[in-house]
Amino acid sequence: MADIPQNAPDHCPGTGSDQAGKSTACQGCPNQNVCATKPKGPDPDVGDITEKMSKIKHKLIILSGKGGVGKSTFTAHLAHGLSSDNDKQIGVLDVDICGPSLPKIFGVEGEQVHQSGSGWSPVYVDDNLSLMSVGFLLSKADEAVIWRGPKKNGMIKQFLRDVDWGEIDYLLIDTPPGTSDEHLSIAQYLKESDVDGAIVITTPQEVALLDVRKEITFCRKVDLPIIGVVENMSSFVCPKCKVSTQIFPASTGGGQKMAEDMNVPFLGSLPLDPRIGKCCDEGKSFLTEVPDSPATQAYKQIMSKIVEYCTKRNENRESDSGEMKTN
Amino acid sequence: MDSLEILDEKLTECPANSEDAGRSSVCEGCPGQTLCRMQGGADPDQEIIDVRMGAIKHKVLILSGKGGVGKSTVAYLLSLALARCQSSKVGVVDLDICGPSIPKLFNVENQPIVQSPYGWKPLVSPNEDVKVMSVGSMLDSDTTSVIFRGPRKTGLIKRFLKDTFWGKLDFLICDTPPGTSDEHMAIVKLLKNVKPDGAILVTTPQEVAVATIKKEISFCRKMGVAVLGLVENMSGLVCPCCKETSEVFPGRGVVSLAESHNIPILGSLPMDPKVTECCENDRNPLENYPESPTVQGIMEISSRLIGLVNNG
Repeated sequence: MADIPQNAPDHCPGTGSDQAGKSTACQGCPNQNVCATKPKGPDPDVGDITEKMSKIKHKLIILSGKGGVGKSTFTAHLAHGLSSDNDKQIGVLDVDICGPSLPKIFGVEGEQVHQSGSGWSPVYVDDNLSLMSVGFLLSKADEAVIWRGPKKNGMIKQFLRDVDWGEIDYLLIDTPPGTSDEHLSIAQYLKESDVDGAIVITTPQEVALLDVRKEITFCRKVDLPIIGVVENMSSFVCPKCKVSTQIFPASTGGGQKMAEDMNVPFLGSLPLDPRIGKCCDEGKSFLTEVPDSPATQAYKQIMSKIVEYCTKRNENRESDSGEMKTN
Repeated sequence: MDSLEILDEKLTECPANSEDAGRSSVCEGCPGQTLCRMQGGADPDQEIIDVRMGAIKHKVLILSGKGGVGKSTVAYLLSLALARCQSSKVGVVDLDICGPSIPKLFNVENQPIVQSPYGWKPLVSPNEDVKVMSVGSMLDSDTTSVIFRGPRKTGLIKRFLKDTFWGKLDFLICDTPPGTSDEHMAIVKLLKNVKPDGAILVTTPQEVAVATIKKEISFCRKMGVAVLGLVENMSGLVCPCCKETSEVFPGRGVVSLAESHNIPILGSLPMDPKVTECCENDRNPLENYPESPTVQGIMEISSRLIGLVNNG
């Protein structure tokens, strides 16, 4: 059944149908031109992407409806934390086309991406940690990438299809805020790639939670499992008097209550330590620079919950396929 | 040429925002080519938009490359300051279709948008009677997500300008989502005949944020939008206990950015938990905490803005 978007005109034939964009009901719909000209049928690239993704043990997507809650910061530190186990290979994909922060946060701005016979090589931050971002493809870091949706989608597809990650344990995908082209594309291109799930980041205040609830709804609509919610910038400890202040007040119960209301797991809270921002600016890992901060401990606890989820999921999958074989 | 060099050329030469959109040689093979080709030509709705926007003296965009720096909060506080201290009639249009924060800030949640013979009636905030239009006010519940691709977002933004009965206003503040994409290109294109005054760029002090502001400046230059100035938000936190100012997002990038790009700094806004609490609880911070450094800051920014747009 072809999908009919919310707020579609009455009698919308569905964006995937042969009549998409051509029916009389389509007149006046702003999406009409896109529907009429989009090629129909399965996308051959999805097959290539699925094949590439099959070499990656765990795929995690970091999302938030709201900007500036710390998705990229969290992604980078999750990657640093996971890669502290030298036996694990970690890859990070930055699909924020307009505002790619990860090259800076990892301290690899200005690096070049090279092409080999097997695809694009990501930039290595450490021996077992690599990154791909549109930031590496810009001739000038200050250059604005002013692209409409389809061009962004094309880039994301290229990243998923052409980057040669190798056989890695974890691929972390950092997204821009919102529920639009980039998110739909990721969900669409990875729908057969068995993504482990999404980690949704929020800050405590209601203005952020409003957007994050929408993001959780989005995940449900595209059948993306939710590993859990992380509440970032929970509290700020004044370095002078050590009193904890809530900069972003949890006036409606914060991330934990929201997670309960939306029936998703709550992974934990991260306090705001100004040294985190400083480390990101300097391209360093906060976890190694400030190992005794309460924020570092909180990161590690959340990380272990995520690893446990992925391991359990693997075990369940293996036992399911074992059962199927014996049947 | 190997594929990475070609990619670089295409990145810098993409003519999506010009007359050549979809028609240039670099467009061959681009997935957006067909869409761009269809964007050209005269738009019959443009005339209506020009009339509506012509009744508004000043149109100001609030931009930032980075999310979460406080664009909506600055749009909110600035519109209150303009209305209260500068006696202006102000409207705010929320162009963030996926993450609309404006209804909550302006305390117009759960108010329906009503059709009148002159168009959609914007909601009127109890705070300084600011007129507000947002997709947030069109959703049944706050968990409903708006999963629109670019063209649908652009279509809705056009309706906000064309179909809303804004009436005569002194200021229309356009709050945008982070980035430099469909929404930003749409608003610049739709307003081009009525010459918007320009854009205020909001950032936080840390380098990761300032780096994306440079992209936003580049966007404004490419699209012919004047940069009115920079606002440094979250410039420090006044601890409610010991009153010492601490740096939450350390960085000195804003001053050097302003100097290197020759852009004025309109002001710095520290974080004041009392003001944030007002924003969360539907109270007017200008009325409740006029002595707050954040409120003082936004009032200075509003008077600088008045000076700039009246001299421009």
